[in-house]
Parts: sequence; structure tokens; C-alpha cells
Amino acid sequence: MRLDGIAGRVALVTGSGQGMGRAIAERLAAEGAKVVANDIDPSTAAATADLVGGVAAPFDVSDPDTAGAAIAEVEVALGPVDVLVANHAYMTMAPFLEESPENWWRILDVNLFGTGMLIERCAPAMAERGWGRVVVIASEWGVIGWPNATAYAASKGGLISLVKSAARAFGEAGVAINAIAPGITDTPQLDVDALDAGVSHEEIVRRYGEDIPLGRVGRADEIAAVAAFLCSTQAEAFVGQVVQPNGGSTRTWGI
Amino acid sequence: MAVAVITGGASGLGAATGARLRAAGLEIASLDLHEATDVDLSLSVDVREADAVDAAVDRVERELGPIDHLLTAAGVYELSPIGGTPADVWRRMLAIHVDGTANACRSVYRRMIERRAGSIVTIGSELGLCGDAEAAHYAAAKGAIHGFTKSLAMEAVRHGIRVNCVAPGPADTPLLKPEMRAPEYIDSLVLKRIVKPDEVAATVAFLMLDEHNFVGQVLSPNAGAVV
Repeated sequence: MRLDGIAGRVALVTGSGQGMGRAIAERLAAEGAKVVANDIDPSTAAATADLVGGVAAPFDVSDPDTAGAAIAEVEVALGPVDVLVANHAYMTMAPFLEESPENWWRILDVNLFGTGMLIERCAPAMAERGWGRVVVIASEWGVIGWPNATAYAASKGGLISLVKSAARAFGEAGVAINAIAPGITDTPQLDVDALDAGVSHEEIVRRYGEDIPLGRVGRADEIAAVAAFLCSTQAEAFVGQVVQPNGGSTRTWGI
Repeated sequence: MAVAVITGGASGLGAATGARLRAAGLEIASLDLHEATDVDLSLSVDVREADAVDAAVDRVERELGPIDHLLTAAGVYELSPIGGTPADVWRRMLAIHVDGTANACRSVYRRMIERRAGSIVTIGSELGLCGDAEAAHYAAAKGAIHGFTKSLAMEAVRHGIRVNCVAPGPADTPLLKPEMRAPEYIDSLVLKRIVKPDEVAATVAFLMLDEHNFVGQVLSPNAGAVV
């Protein structure tokens, strides 16, 4: 379905060097957006930018000064950021009692603080111009929790509250801010899960798929479609919502 | 050409969705008490009557072909305090929404199963999510639609059929009460405006036509009535 109002917008997609972020960059570019591809890894950011005909802006989202400077540079070239898709994430898995404070802080810094800073950097200018879209990629685990992922789930739960609060602040000015809480999706991030379970990527995809009513894990392009919809003109009525494309996995599935 | 059935297709959200889907190239059949314009087939049906709904759905398939999409948008809305709502008013509210939704879904879903394809979208409400004063019977009916939709979704997913719900906030339709157009109410919404019918229609169209893995979800474009 062709979506209204995305063509010509400047869209910053963080963590878009691979996986879901790259799929989102591709979909937004297909809708006519001018994509700014961010990743902490300059080579993957450049690869996505090449793929979608956009501009690469590699930076670490947990460093607000570097991020701010990089965004300012891009805005000189392309114009102000109209669409922010905060897709970046850092994830490790370990039993709760074995998590180090340093790792906890790294997860919260990247996932929660980094996103908060990006919204603070971009949303006020969107509000001044009277139009903007922010889509934050949270996680099903931020809604329902998950063992061995306490810090990650906490960061994603925090993102949901961040989105609701920011949406209240900026909604009237035409800036729609929402979260997507995807279920298990087939991206390179599942390598972390595979490592935790001691199996291959293909095996973890199969195992997770068995527990999902749809019978399979999600695809990155399916999540990208939802992200693009939330950037469209008609999505303005979505205010601080958490939408859950997850194949029906929110409840247990036993029949 | 893909075919969509819309209950309540003659006005409000049903009509707005019909217009959007028709512009996207679908053929639209409206099942409504009233005559629908700008559709491919308009059938006069009371959604509370299961046999009548089934007969109408049968006629849609004969005249337009297999049904690919169903939207259940038929509904009524009124304010009534719990203590002062007569039993017949309660039952009418539940019958139109819960029976009406289930009747249309039962008839269309059965046909979709044979083809292992299709999508169903029901219309719930933000009042079904959080309720409100003087809306108990409406909120109960819409809450029932949410529960029904989630459960049907779990059954239907194994047949390759997607089922989801859109729970709008106060929308600019003939059903909206004057109280909800008053400045005091509008000011309570984050967006300081009510929802445009096309915002609901676009959400329904996305659920029907785009690639996604929503199963049994309730999406709520509500202008900030329930965040």
C-alpha cells in the first residue's frame, strides 16, 4: 500500500546498518523519503546509504555531543530531520544475577538514554515546523519481560514510557510519537539469542517460530511496513501508542 | 479484483473506509440498515439477524466474487448512566455490536477458511480500552469486541487469515455526540481535535492491504484520548 506524506521527508534511521533498521530505511526510501542511515559501524551505515540512495551518518547514539554534531552536519546538506526512527539497540543476555552494573548501564545508555537524547534533539524543531514523526523500536520483551534479558527488557519498557510522555508533549504540534514492540524478528540480533541458547541462528529461528501462533518469527520488512505506516499522514491520530506486530505471541500458545 | 465487505458501510467510519479501499481498487459491498452510495453493492441488513447477514454475504459472493476482506463497523452510540439504563437498551447495545460483529465474522470467516486467505478488521473503541462515565453499556460492548477479535485471531491464524481490531477515539462521524464536540472535551484530548474518519480508514486499509505480522492486535488511533 502506498502511504501518504512520506515522500520528500528527511528520515533519520538509527542502527540501520543491518536487520530491521536497514529494512526500515529501504521502505522509507521506497516511499520517497530522503534517508539518513545511522549506525555505530561506519561501514554498514555507508552500505545502507548506498543501498537506499541516502546519506550515511555514523555515530554512537549514547554520545549526545557526537550525535548532535553529526545530525547538524546532515541537516545542512538535506534539511531538518522530519522523521526519526530510533531503531538502534544494544543487547546481551545473561541471568539477572550475573549481569554486571557496567553492562546494565551500557544497555540503558544506548537503548533508553540515547533515544531520549535523539528525541530531545529532533522533536522540538519538528514541532516548530508543525509536522514530525518519531517511531521508536521497543520490543515485545519491554511489554511482557523475558528471562536472561532483564536489562534489555527494562530499557525497552522505559522506551515505552518515554514515547508516551513525549507524545503527550509534542502531539498537539503535529508530531506523532509512537512505539513498535515487535515480537521475535529474524535479524542478526537473534545471534545473541542463539549464543545464549547454545544453538545456531537457524535453530533459534525454528524454536521461536514454534511458539508463535503465526507459526514463524517476524520478517524485518513486516516491521518496516508498520514503521512506515506510523510515519504517514494519517498516523497523526496515533498518540503514544505501542503497536505489537508479533504474530500473536503476547499470550501463551498451547493448543 | 479484491472484494471487501463492510458492515455499517453507509456512513461514518464504514463509509470512509469503503471510499479509501475503493480508491485502492477494491470492490466494496456494504451491509447496512441504510442504503450506501459509492459502493459496488449495497444490501439492506440488520447485523443482529444472523440468517439475514449470511444471506447477504452469500449474495456478495455470487455478485462480486470471493470475499477477501471484512470490516465490521456497524454500531450505535449513546450516553446512559449505569443506574438508568433499561435492560432493553443494554441488550440492544450488546446485540448490535457483539452479535453484529460475530454474525458477520462467522459468515465470512467460514468462507475464508476454505480459501485459506483473508483479513478481518473489527471496529472497537478507546472506550472499550478504558471505559468512561455514562458509557458502561457501550464500553462493555466494545470491550467484548476486543476480546472476541483477539480470540478469533488465534483461531484464524492457523487458517492463514489475519484478524485485528481498530479502536478509534472520538471520530468526526454522525454517531458522535454533541458533548464530544464541545471545547471542554476537545481540550482534554492531546491533539486538541477529534479523529478524522480517514485516519481510521487508513489504519484499516493498512491492516488489510500491507505486509505485516499483526495478529489479534488492537490499534488505537484516538487523538490522545487514551495514551
